Amino acid sequence: MIEFQNVDFAYTSVNAEGKTIHENGISGLDLSIRDGEFVVLTGGSGCGKTTITRLINGLIPHYYSGELHGSITIDGKSVPDTPIYETAKRVGSVFQNPRSQFFNVNTTDEIAFAAENQCREPVEISKAITETAASMHIEKLLDRSIFELSGGEKQIIACAGVSVLSPDIIVLDEPSSNLDSGAIEKLKIILSDWKSQGKTIVIAEHRLYFLRELADRLLILKDGRIVRELNASQIKALTFADTEQIGIRPLSLLDIRYSYGRASGRNETLTLESFIFTYKDGKHGINIPKLELPSGGVIAIIGHNGAGKSTLARNICGLEHKCKGVMKLGGKALKAKDRLKQCYMIMQDVNHQLFTESVRDEVMLSMTDKLLTDEQKVQKADEILKSLDLLEYADTHPMALSGGQKQRTAIASGIASSKPVIIFDEPTSGLDLAHMKQVAGEILKLRDMGKTVIIVTHDLEFILSCCDHIVRLEQGQVVEDHALDKDTCNRLQKFFCK
Amino acid sequence: MQIGFQGNTKNAVFDPDPRAKFAMLLAVNIIMISGGSVGVEYALRIICAVLPLVLLLSIRNYRTALIYFILLGAAVYCEGMVLPHTHGVAGILLMIPCGILTRFMTGYMMCWYTVRSTSVSEFVTAMDKMHVPYFLTIPMSVMFRYFPTLGEEYRSIHDAMKMREIGQSVKNPFTYIEYVLVPIMMSTVRIADELSAASLTKGLSAGSRRTHICRIRLNALDILMIAGSFVMIVLFFIY
Repeated sequence: MIEFQNVDFAYTSVNAEGKTIHENGISGLDLSIRDGEFVVLTGGSGCGKTTITRLINGLIPHYYSGELHGSITIDGKSVPDTPIYETAKRVGSVFQNPRSQFFNVNTTDEIAFAAENQCREPVEISKAITETAASMHIEKLLDRSIFELSGGEKQIIACAGVSVLSPDIIVLDEPSSNLDSGAIEKLKIILSDWKSQGKTIVIAEHRLYFLRELADRLLILKDGRIVRELNASQIKALTFADTEQIGIRPLSLLDIRYSYGRASGRNETLTLESFIFTYKDGKHGINIPKLELPSGGVIAIIGHNGAGKSTLARNICGLEHKCKGVMKLGGKALKAKDRLKQCYMIMQDVNHQLFTESVRDEVMLSMTDKLLTDEQKVQKADEILKSLDLLEYADTHPMALSGGQKQRTAIASGIASSKPVIIFDEPTSGLDLAHMKQVAGEILKLRDMGKTVIIVTHDLEFILSCCDHIVRLEQGQVVEDHALDKDTCNRLQKFFCK
Repeated sequence: MQIGFQGNTKNAVFDPDPRAKFAMLLAVNIIMISGGSVGVEYALRIICAVLPLVLLLSIRNYRTALIYFILLGAAVYCEGMVLPHTHGVAGILLMIPCGILTRFMTGYMMCWYTVRSTSVSEFVTAMDKMHVPYFLTIPMSVMFRYFPTLGEEYRSIHDAMKMREIGQSVKNPFTYIEYVLVPIMMSTVRIADELSAASLTKGLSAGSRRTHICRIRLNALDILMIAGSFVMIVLFFIY
């Protein structure tokens, strides 16, 4: 039994002016979680759901500092007063970012890591690893370098590490953020196994559809408080209209309605010819002899992990100079080197593409037109920033912004570069409903400016709210290529739901 | 090129104990940095120069072994055969790179081999058996594990720079360095932060003992390597 009694917490941090501030915690939380219960926490970014998971595994107050009041107990034992390595014996944790939760490079070593820290007998650990691998069907993933694995495979290794220890309580912090629909399906199987073993599971998530059958209780948080609590039968009764009204992601993908119905206005095309590229390992790559896309449309590239989506995006951008493919746009044939000047990519991790000391400088850095004077540049930059609601942050350091603001800064730089093709790599991973809709709105703005937008994504709801063309890849080849309308929408839903 | 504790020794001809690797690393570095070329010292230097070559071949790193062989061979040849016939600036220009290569390259290759052929858990286990405290071992192992991540981060940043048409020109190297370093440092801090949090929830703590599933044992060859390394160091200091 996990019990929260009148818990208040606020993170302590230092703001840009050097003042200590308290923010984004939870307030007045009373919650008790029974043994064997499956609890889902959801709500907008900064609502406090991650904070609750950290209070359970002891990272608050032992790692993240702040002001904590009230009591948090697991079976009567206070978590804040227990050393974190003691709590680790009872509570297993899985995190959002597969890139940064591994201590080891070798997968088997990583699965064993937590058990080794608890001084289990090596023979027992090895036996537990063999059993876990067999029950999760991951024998193929053992004894590999984690740098060879996809995001989904890494997340499964993280789950296996928890399974080997078999703790009573497991907390997961947005585990599906970086996963495709196939990997989410595997995660769902693991979660339901844990549930049937009687484990207490607390999961903070935005994407809810895979938890519909598993959840015993759904808690919706807002500004650090629980605003709504639903039991299992109420969760199953939630319709698309209900979730839209509450402001959370839908509980079933089949429910999502196709809200965006404008057909592409222009009849021009953007043609890719002989996009054939193989990575050094000789296994992964793309093989696309010819692909015609509507110029000025919003094109979604979908497919499972490893199908070649990101590779295609990189090649369209011209980042792989070995690719001999040619892109025809507006009567011009563009080789890889020329495409670098015509395409702009908003990366999944936007931290990699922000270089300067203020948001305005960031936008002006993209204006390579030498005819503009500095004053004209500032004026133009401010116009772009205004259209993306960023003007008030014009003098802020990009790294001090929130994730969504950083992404908008990157979009602003893309607009400033006046390149006709804008590519997004997984723009909505880990976003709540409101932010997802905001990104969809920004993409429609880009479209209205006449840009061709290409989006690599796993997010069905997002596709249905802004895309008008679908390209599906499988093993580096185009298997589906069609406009998105009411009829093809069903086909798309089936792909995501299978 | 990938560096960091990859531990890919599946195809290795033989896989020495990490402790044997450390002993050899120590011997090679001590002996190679002095530049003596007479008597016993010369013989020791030849043995040390050949050692990384054999080890690199044993983990089937043929390309690196070949590059090492050619570079070192060229440097030794220059020092012995070409340098005596040069004078003035040309001589100095040739002497500096040759000197650096002959003194440091062997040690560097030995390091590269050790990092390349040892996994994080082998390293931690070996350090534990030598009773090195965790507060030294854990930061070191995280550091090495971090190198490949750093490579991934750098590649993404480089791509972003290419797309924005900045930094390709060498006109202003300081701007280039700033543009690379700022995002790398920001993501380094973030990843290190998340990694520490994850390790803590997995019960890692500097104070308590831990077990190891990784089996490392000194066999006859390892003992021979360690003994040989120390004999070489002793001989080196005597002569």
